[in-house]
Amino acid sequence: MEKAVKKYSGFLSFLRTPTPTLIGIYIVMMLLFSLTSDKFLTIQNIKGIYNNFAVFGILAAGVTVVMIGGGFDLAIGSTAGLAGIVSSVLLMKGIEVATPWVFLIAIAIGCTVGLINGLIITKVGINPIITTLGTLAIFRGVCYFWADLNPRVYNVFVQNFGRIYLGNVFPITTLYIIIAFVALTLILKFTRFGRDLFTIGGNETLARLAGIPVDRIKILSYVISGFFCSVAGLLLISQLGSGRPEYGTGAELEVLTIVVLGGVVVGGGRGNYLGVFIALIIIQTITNGMVLLNVPVFLRMVVKGALLVLVIAIDAFRNKRHLQLY
Amino acid sequence: MVDDKTVDVLQKKKVRLNNTAILFLILVVMFALFSYVGRPFFFSKLNLIPMINNLSFVGIIAAILTMVMVSGEIDFSIGGNIGLTACLTALLLEKGLPGWLVVIIALAGGFAMGAFNGMLVTVVGVNSIIATIGTMFIWRGIGYTITNGESKLALNTVIDYIGRGFVFKVIPFPIVLLVAVFIITYIIMNHSKWGRRIYAIGANPLASFLSGINVKKVKFIGFLFCGAAAALGGLVLTSLSAVGMPQHGQGQELVIISAIILGGTALGGGRGQILGTLAGVFILSVLYNFLTIMNIYYFYIQMVQGSVLILVVSTYEIRQAVARRRT
Repeated sequence: MEKAVKKYSGFLSFLRTPTPTLIGIYIVMMLLFSLTSDKFLTIQNIKGIYNNFAVFGILAAGVTVVMIGGGFDLAIGSTAGLAGIVSSVLLMKGIEVATPWVFLIAIAIGCTVGLINGLIITKVGINPIITTLGTLAIFRGVCYFWADLNPRVYNVFVQNFGRIYLGNVFPITTLYIIIAFVALTLILKFTRFGRDLFTIGGNETLARLAGIPVDRIKILSYVISGFFCSVAGLLLISQLGSGRPEYGTGAELEVLTIVVLGGVVVGGGRGNYLGVFIALIIIQTITNGMVLLNVPVFLRMVVKGALLVLVIAIDAFRNKRHLQLY
Repeated sequence: MVDDKTVDVLQKKKVRLNNTAILFLILVVMFALFSYVGRPFFFSKLNLIPMINNLSFVGIIAAILTMVMVSGEIDFSIGGNIGLTACLTALLLEKGLPGWLVVIIALAGGFAMGAFNGMLVTVVGVNSIIATIGTMFIWRGIGYTITNGESKLALNTVIDYIGRGFVFKVIPFPIVLLVAVFIITYIIMNHSKWGRRIYAIGANPLASFLSGINVKKVKFIGFLFCGAAAALGGLVLTSLSAVGMPQHGQGQELVIISAIILGGTALGGGRGQILGTLAGVFILSVLYNFLTIMNIYYFYIQMVQGSVLILVVSTYEIRQAVARRRT
């Protein structure tokens, strides 16, 4: 009996997250697009949709961790760009560092940037939005140190890293995203780090008083985000075949839209990867569907913005348990 | 032998520089240094007037946004607002509307955009960071859509005057606008009930509500005027460049918010000075202008801006921590 009640309340709490709304939106969208365009529901197109969200998906994996802990990471685009251009320079003809080293160096760069962000935010005590806005500009500038080299990627392994399809249908990048999301879900649910992170996001003062090492866990969350940025940077150079200093510009807003749409609460304490995954598919499907429907390029921006506003408005209405007075 | 009275006087005479004064001091030192290093170009009419014009358009928006940020909210949609206003202005001029009417419509559009943001934050109850990032996309997208992504000429006697006119043939009109906006916001923030309410709300919204302040109304009006200020800034920018294009104001939100935070406004609200914002706007603009003159790559300038932001905020935080430890 007790178990049944618990299950019911668990289901209710699932209903209270934006995930059901998202699934609804997705179904409506699929119907709409497949009725209006005969090219939409083809394997070729679906394949494309899934392969195109690789970079944003990997970035969203890290940002979700940071945001659940009450943080904010706007430096992701620059970090991915930095990891991308450095590894593409290392792969250039004449330098040709061995592939495993390139991956290690890229990951080291991402983690270092995350560590720097985390240290400034926790030890100096600056607001995360301000800190990462600053590091966004700084690391984008660093990317331009190699602007004149224009490196191309000839390394076969790196080329395949973000491009191959398993069984010619299933993009390997989607597999990475699924692995990352499942692993992070398990980590957040079943490890001490995960539970502490949710506690910190819910109420930082309380977490501190309860003896949780708040600073250490927050720093770790930024390092995790940095790690995923470096993977995203490698995916960028793999998919685009070259390294350019501007890669990843503006990714932070796109990823923020996805993560918030997926029901991760700004301010922390709530969020799940299922929602983020569906949001990822929705954003990419909308982009794709609008291309197929010949919606003018510029109107797509309006639609994306409106979608973000709409979803958080619905979320705000749904979670209004008591009257908001101020 | 020193008696008690002299000790008292001595202690009172010990001048404590506040943050705003330090900022202005930094500005003066910077300006002197740049005038020397960047001679003869930096301190010349050819450089100073465009610099001041550019600075005014940033400053007008920053002054009003300071009020919003002191009340604990933020508006990221200003950049998009500038873009949409520029497009709207150019389109209406193309349709042949008289200049004064275009200005009124553009400002009305700004109020409407501000009202929309305000409704989202106060009535719907959405976090203002996310809400205004969403509306930023929407405004800019509408700007692109109505102009079809093209830039359009915006030439008209009234519009020209807003950005490039001179009052009494000497004072550039944008600087008049800037001074007017700063005087008004200074009086509101420091010498009116409304300003006290804004500070109170930023410091503690619940306590303000319980003591009878209509928190939502104050916040809403802040957003309303922030939209109008961004539209005014958009008009100045359109006039300065003589074109209305949807890319206008792209990334300006970061410059403006950096300037405000440099000026000592706390992101969570409750702290902030209009004069500090003025200093912040001047410091960033002068620095940016100097680096451009010295022929430094745009992205390295951004690096400097980012580092300055982090450095300044760190010093604030560390100074505060030291002060807290003392008491």
